[in-house]
This record gives sequence, C-alpha cells and structure tokens, in this order.
Amino acid sequence: MDNLNNLPSQPGKRSRSIRHMKISPFLAGLVLGLGSALVQAYFKVIPPVAYGVCMVCHPKDLFNWIADHLFHLSWGYSLASTNWPLLTVLGVVLGAMVAAYQHGELHLKSARQPLFFFINGFLMINFGLILGACPIRIVLLSAYGNLLGWIGWACVVVGVLLGTWGQRWSARRAAALRG
Amino acid sequence: MIASIATLFLGFAIGYLGQRSRLCFVSGYLDFVLTHDTTLLKGVGGAFLGALAGYVLFNFTGGSVPGFPMILQTSVVISHSAWIITIVSGLGVGIIGALSGGCPYRMHVLAAEGKKTYWVYLLGFYAGLVFYDLVTVHLMDMLRTVLR
Repeated sequence: MDNLNNLPSQPGKRSRSIRHMKISPFLAGLVLGLGSALVQAYFKVIPPVAYGVCMVCHPKDLFNWIADHLFHLSWGYSLASTNWPLLTVLGVVLGAMVAAYQHGELHLKSARQPLFFFINGFLMINFGLILGACPIRIVLLSAYGNLLGWIGWACVVVGVLLGTWGQRWSARRAAALRG
Repeated sequence: MIASIATLFLGFAIGYLGQRSRLCFVSGYLDFVLTHDTTLLKGVGGAFLGALAGYVLFNFTGGSVPGFPMILQTSVVISHSAWIITIVSGLGVGIIGALSGGCPYRMHVLAAEGKKTYWVYLLGFYAGLVFYDLVTVHLMDMLRTVLR
C-alpha cells in the first residue's frame, strides 16, 4: 500500500515523501570516498595525492587562485589548481542549498554566539591548513596508506575526545558554581 | 578546466547528500562518545571504504593513483618536524571541531541551509584563511627551520 501511495499520479503524497527523504550517512560517505578517488584518477585532481575532497585546502586554492589572478599576490595554491581553481566548496554549498530548498529546510535563522563561532572558524582553517587536511582528507590520506594520515586521523579523534571532555568539565563547573 | 568541472559536480553531489544525511566527520566521533550512536560514524567508515575501494579499483584500471598504497613505500622518511606539526595540528582540528560541533564540510552545509550562526563561522573561516596566507605560513616556515 505504501508503494501505491508513492505513485506519481498522487502529487501531494509524492511531494510529502520527497520532503522526508533521508539518505544514510554510510551511503553518502561511500559516494564521497569513491567520488574523491574517481576525480583523482581520471579528472586530474592531483597532485598532491588523495586530494579529491578537502574542505580547507580547496577553499584555500580557490581563494588564493582568485587573489593571485586579480591582485598578483603570489599566495600559494596546489598544482591541481594551476590552470583553473577547484570548485568543490562552491558545489557543496550549491548542492546543500538545492537539497534544503527541495525539502523545505531552507530557512533563515538568526545567529547565536557569533564571536565564539567566528573564532572557531578562524582557528579551524589555520589548524587545518597547518595539518594540510580537513577531517575528510585525513580519512582519504589514511585510505591511501599515508602514515602521517593515520597519525593525523588518530590525533583528530583524540582532539574530539579532549574537546568533548573539556566541554563536559566546563558545563559541570558552571553547574557547580550556580548550585 | 576538467578538474574544476569535476570538483564542482562532485561538490554538488556531496553537498546534496550531506544535507540529506547529516554526514559529518567530527559529529561521527562526537555522537559515539556522547550517546554511543554509530549512525554518523558509519559515514566516516563509508568514506574510508569508498576511497579505499576507489583507489584499488582505479589503480587496477590504469587511473592516476601514483605510489598507492603509500604504506609500502619504504623510501618514505618522515622528519621530526612533520611528526610534531601533524600531532599538534591534528589535535587542534579535533578540539576546535568538537567545540563548534562539526567539521568544515558540515559547517558549509549548515550555512547553505540559511543558519546565520554558520555564516559567522564561515566569515571567521575565510578571515582565518587570509591570516594564514599573511602570517601563519611564515611562522610555520620559521618553526620548520627551528625544528630541523
């Protein structure tokens, strides 16, 4: 009966089913991993290796490529971006926006703790660029068999544990001070 | 040009999938630690398996996968400075990710949904990029010289 309800001849029901369509994170991760290997192997997103998706290095390449071509600033970018910049970040934003719009989840919501999030963003890209990878590329590097990738991945996980522990400690301390 | 178009299409696909699946490469660990929920952690595993399968497959079909698997390259020597920098910056990425509640990929997806909190995060992110180009990159060069 559920299948019948999803037939295209019932547009109201169908649009409701699309609205609630979810994809498993495992499948999304699988596509991301396979896609990143594909663009390296056949679409020249190399060097460096395991560079198919990186959410700190690709924005840097795009930003620095534009800065270099507009203002001749000679800010560095990867060899994969020599002729044209990598547009992953633009694609991610567009894709997420289309998905959110299609499923009725595109809403303006006001900012909370702006200074905290500004500083987090500031620090994240600096640590990420020093590492040479975001939490996605560190997984890709590990899959490539890079030893520093494995070390970096372990450190990111330990860092998340430390951050969580710090937040818990801070919350407990605040509660104790109030109580 | 081909790399630009390929990354735009791949970015669009993973942006779409990321919005529908809540895939995040920090929340996966975070959720597991806090609630023992493995849903998002499976996404990280999926990315690892997908990439591994892709590299093996495309290496076999003659794609550009040089030096794979790197772990078998015995000539690779890692300097002390690389070890230290990887450990410190890896810990930094993890801690900041935990504090902000997600990885940069997830933050871009949330910003695209219209959440202004993450617009501010991205403002800091790109301001940080300028700072990196102007200051951090030179500091790192000095640090590498000192550690050598």
